[in-house]
Amino acid sequence: MTDKMTDIREEQLREAVVPSGNVFDIFIRGARKGWNIGVNNLIPNILMAYVIAYILNILGVMDFLGYWCGPVMGLLGLPGEALIVLLTVWLSCSAGVGVAASLFMSGMLEPVHITILMPAFILMGSQLQYMGRLLGTADVPKKYWPLLMAISIMNAIIGMVIMRVILAFF
Amino acid sequence: MDRKEEERLTRLPKVGWKGYAALIFAILFFAGIFASIQQAAWLRAFDFSTLIGKFGTMASDKATFVGMGGASARGGFLFALSLVPSVMLAVGCVEVLSHYGALAAAQKLMTPLLRPIMDVPGFVGLTLITDMQSTDAGAALTKELVDEKLIDKREQTIIAAWQYSGAGMINNYFAIVGALFSYALVPIVVPLLVIFILKFFGAVVCRVVLDTVYKGDFAHDR
Repeated sequence: MTDKMTDIREEQLREAVVPSGNVFDIFIRGARKGWNIGVNNLIPNILMAYVIAYILNILGVMDFLGYWCGPVMGLLGLPGEALIVLLTVWLSCSAGVGVAASLFMSGMLEPVHITILMPAFILMGSQLQYMGRLLGTADVPKKYWPLLMAISIMNAIIGMVIMRVILAFF
Repeated sequence: MDRKEEERLTRLPKVGWKGYAALIFAILFFAGIFASIQQAAWLRAFDFSTLIGKFGTMASDKATFVGMGGASARGGFLFALSLVPSVMLAVGCVEVLSHYGALAAAQKLMTPLLRPIMDVPGFVGLTLITDMQSTDAGAALTKELVDEKLIDKREQTIIAAWQYSGAGMINNYFAIVGALFSYALVPIVVPLLVIFILKFFGAVVCRVVLDTVYKGDFAHDR
């Protein structure tokens, strides 16, 4: 970063904080910006994400992947059912936690598996929904969305490996 | 056909096979034909009236106007609408706080931390802190920084990488993953720390990929 760029930035920062009107007017101006972001970015993007999730659900894509690709979970010290949990988590964090809880109740997941999965619930949680809520709303160029998704899944995998290592000390 | 009509039609693009395929799909999609084939329920995935989904109902006193069990376009719309107030409140508050210099203060305090790790200016610290509590408010603040031209596309993408993996981590961890805390074999703060550190790791990976694979994209910004 050159000094010149920093200067320009500081100028813009000053402009962004230039005093105008009273505190209520300033809040209203911001709330109006928030409304525009909500209407122009948030709502259309979430609507799209919900429709995609619904399509995946009708087509049974997640069940299909969970059934055929489950065995790779062994690499993380997890049973095949854990993949269904992760695929569901990717669509919706809370739904994934629900699946994990029901698998735990029926004895298919042990406490050690739940512990390994914990960082993944957050690190790759609700990615499809957050595509709309976050990437769409923040107007991130679509070109980089696959990169950001790959990073999230990578983070989740590394998180589960770290948990497996940490568990060795407990 | 009068002259004007003719002129308008000639201005339309030439029709190729893709156009006809699209027209046929449009007819099938909107006419509800896919939904009426009993033997192939999966075809409903390409039916308009199915994809509108449904509004949830308010059978329980726990339900808000969003209802429970909503799905697809209608379910998503009401859910999104329910998030708008938090975005309006967040952007409104930040507008006021930055009026009093909060962004400039964040710039001063957090640049020494954020610049070396993520190569982003310090004032995005406010956005990152917001994201830990609220995905939507964090996203709206990032959009604000872009609109005000305070950050460029590269910085925006790096910040988004930090936000996207584990968005709203504190709220989601305690409110959602909390249901599983009683089964955990480690202190519950341990996974949270792992998540927090990996958020930075992901942002660093994004920074490195943008500076190598996508190097050309940002040449004119520098």
